[in-house]
Amino acid sequence: MEEDEFFGEKTFQHYCAEFIKHSQKIGDGWEWRASKDCSDGYMCKTHFQVKNGTAMSHQGTSAHVQTFLPVEEAVDPPLDDFEVTETTTAAEVIKYEYHVLYSCSYQVPVLYFRASFLDGRPLALKDIWEGVHECYKMRLLQGPWDTITQQEHPILGQPFFVLHPCKTSEFLIPVLKNSRKINRNVNYITSWLSMVGPAVGLNLPLSYATAASQEEGNVSGQDNQRPLI
Amino acid sequence: MAEEQESTLLLPPSTAPEAEVPAEVSPETATPEPPSSAAVSPGTEEPVGDTKKKIDILLKAVGDTPIMKTKKWAVERTRTIQGLIDFIKKFLKLVASEQLFIYVNQSFAPSPDQEVGTLYECFGSDGKLVLHYCKSQAWG
Repeated sequence: MEEDEFFGEKTFQHYCAEFIKHSQKIGDGWEWRASKDCSDGYMCKTHFQVKNGTAMSHQGTSAHVQTFLPVEEAVDPPLDDFEVTETTTAAEVIKYEYHVLYSCSYQVPVLYFRASFLDGRPLALKDIWEGVHECYKMRLLQGPWDTITQQEHPILGQPFFVLHPCKTSEFLIPVLKNSRKINRNVNYITSWLSMVGPAVGLNLPLSYATAASQEEGNVSGQDNQRPLI
Repeated sequence: MAEEQESTLLLPPSTAPEAEVPAEVSPETATPEPPSSAAVSPGTEEPVGDTKKKIDILLKAVGDTPIMKTKKWAVERTRTIQGLIDFIKKFLKLVASEQLFIYVNQSFAPSPDQEVGTLYECFGSDGKLVLHYCKSQAWG
């Protein structure tokens, strides 16, 4: 079946790995977490956003979001790679977590996410809606319960918001069919995440676009492209 | 790769709210001059210095998305992807329940706040930027 060919679980893991390779190159913060029995896993990223619009400088963040130095409890970031030009109080900082999992029932990737203040208080659904980009608000508000729902994370067992996956293959297949005419190795995780991410505050740096068509050691794509990091 | 450095290099200061800082571009490839003296457009002969200069965009439909009668447009560099999406939606008379996506490289959807000028610099060739667009019921 065509969909299997596009979105099987093996290709899911393969393209996540390629995606993460590029993320590591540009310091975008994605990593893979395996489930306890290692039979499956997911890709995840945490970033911090200042709610009141204070500007920060930070290496490798997506352009759209104002962020500052992410402080993970378990990880010591290389401090000389980051610059914090301003500080802010904890109450204004929101921690976003994005998880990319594979849905066996829908046979597509699914985006799980949650947001909380630094003191651990989760964001209310209303705050999540407010964070949806203008571009998508109208459509999402037409059928909110069809689009963003709250579900249990299949691996962590904790409540997350989910972008409902039932239409994913419908909007992704035409694009992939088209792009695979010219490049069979297009990374569908990159394509998919670039489309759904912005709706919930997740923006991919442009260099993923070039990386996605340069997999498996191809020399830099088209000669007109500027080298992105 | 600090964002401040990038915003100095690539954005016209008068139109750049913080949200429109573009994605990372290697400092070695971006022009070092501030935007008022403007990066030279790849492959064109237009005079530098006009940051409001328009770029040529060629729009191509994907799937069974309606094809626009006019495919080639001159668009201001500072127009965002979101602005372009709104424009195409109106032009194609799409209803609110339909989502429109725009792609570079036929496969990657830039974030809605991305400016077309930046995309042109990264992905343009032969004096134009080719963008594919696709409508869908993306959600639910």
